[in-house]
Amino acid sequence: MKTDVLIIGGGPAGLSAAIETASRGLDVTIVDEASKLGGQLNQQTQALRPLPSVHEPMRGFELADKLIEQVKGFNVRPLLNHRVVGFYADGSAGITDEENVFPVKAKKIIVASGAAEKAVAFPKWTLPGIMTIGAAQTLINRDFVMPGREAVIVGSSDFAMETAIQLMDVGIRVKAIIEKQNGALAKEQEKVSELSRNGIPFYFNSFIREARGNGQVAQIDIELPDEVITLNVDLICMDGGRAPILDVFYQLGCSFGFQEELGGWVPQYSNTFQTDREDVFIAGNAAGISTQGPLLLTGMIAGISVSEELQAISPAEANEIRDAIWKELGLLECKEVYTGRVKHLENFTSPVLKDQFIS
Amino acid sequence: MHIEKHPVLGRQLHTPVTIYFNDQPYQAYTQQSVAAALMANEIKKLGVSRKLVQSRGLFCSRGRCCSCYMTIDGEDHVRSCMTEVEDGMRIYPNMDDPEVRREIDED
Ligand code: FES
Repeated sequence: MKTDVLIIGGGPAGLSAAIETASRGLDVTIVDEASKLGGQLNQQTQALRPLPSVHEPMRGFELADKLIEQVKGFNVRPLLNHRVVGFYADGSAGITDEENVFPVKAKKIIVASGAAEKAVAFPKWTLPGIMTIGAAQTLINRDFVMPGREAVIVGSSDFAMETAIQLMDVGIRVKAIIEKQNGALAKEQEKVSELSRNGIPFYFNSFIREARGNGQVAQIDIELPDEVITLNVDLICMDGGRAPILDVFYQLGCSFGFQEELGGWVPQYSNTFQTDREDVFIAGNAAGISTQGPLLLTGMIAGISVSEELQAISPAEANEIRDAIWKELGLLECKEVYTGRVKHLENFTSPVLKDQFIS
Repeated sequence: MHIEKHPVLGRQLHTPVTIYFNDQPYQAYTQQSVAAALMANEIKKLGVSRKLVQSRGLFCSRGRCCSCYMTIDGEDHVRSCMTEVEDGMRIYPNMDDPEVRREIDED
């Protein structure tokens, strides 16, 4: 199979890259291992903000539907339930439908592989009933299944607070929020107050000492600053943060740099979102962990740059649009993340340390 | 428990189907993953780990962690969080290395 642009990952960044390229007449193929486009947006019932100026305020699944509807009008071929498993010597991607592997030869590749949630380890953290906050959210909003009856949340990011509220809304009793720092980490303090108002205790400077259960979690010991308490729970949702998914970049042989604010090791890229492999561009959480609005913008930048390289748009026009999107990114993206991103770009064009490249 | 009425999304459970876990019938709905449908029926232990034989269940629900391997319709080592239920599906826990790997080992 041949295509102009191969997009790996059909979440918000991949879809916005698809819209930018396909709307300029390019032939686009999207690979995603899920059975539906939209990525994690599909199970997000919370209101998203801030979104780029072209979008009205909406919830995650509404944004997914809107983007999916938009790509339908263009020459976009979605390969759902498909995965990239490697690359051939001639640069073609090896794609599997879980039975056969076939090559797809693309003029340019945009990798928008997203992020994976990290675990919080404590003794017996692998017992069934212990899962990531994202998994609990998926069960409730995609599968319409109660993940448990009595829960604790480990962590207090915005995402953890949103999930805690979603658990409560379906009738799960949230017994505590456990945070190892000395205060809640969420930027949106209203969510923290909403949970406190509902009588949910926040245990700061605290952690789970051990989980117990026969075949599934039933009880935990929590180490508070001056005592240890025991709670009966059948659900533990852990928020260990997220890290970019890098497998595809390893296979492509891209260089990496370490950028704490972007989520750790991230492929190196320039302000056009081109990696050090000329035919490979990057977008979304893979280029640094961010929120939904900025993720869309990074996908747009990658899409514009690819359109420029394939002469679907003039360099002058591309520069003008890219500058405008970068400005909007500066406004929408949380300050630390944006600063980290700018530092990351500088390392690409003028590396401070040679050993930052670990490819 | 299945969520009959979601506070934001309303009533959305699609077509009911019957799935079999260890040859026992359970009710599920077509949009659910196998792991989720089992959880709705109070089944959280989906198998055991290969080395230490400890209980494993759904962890990431994103196809990343491979903690949810099960045998589905005769196929070993399928990620049950990424597989949607179908009527009459026969599901068994992952208690062992998959068949295919054992055959290779014997060569
Ligand atoms: S639960 Fe992680 S792969 Fe299925």
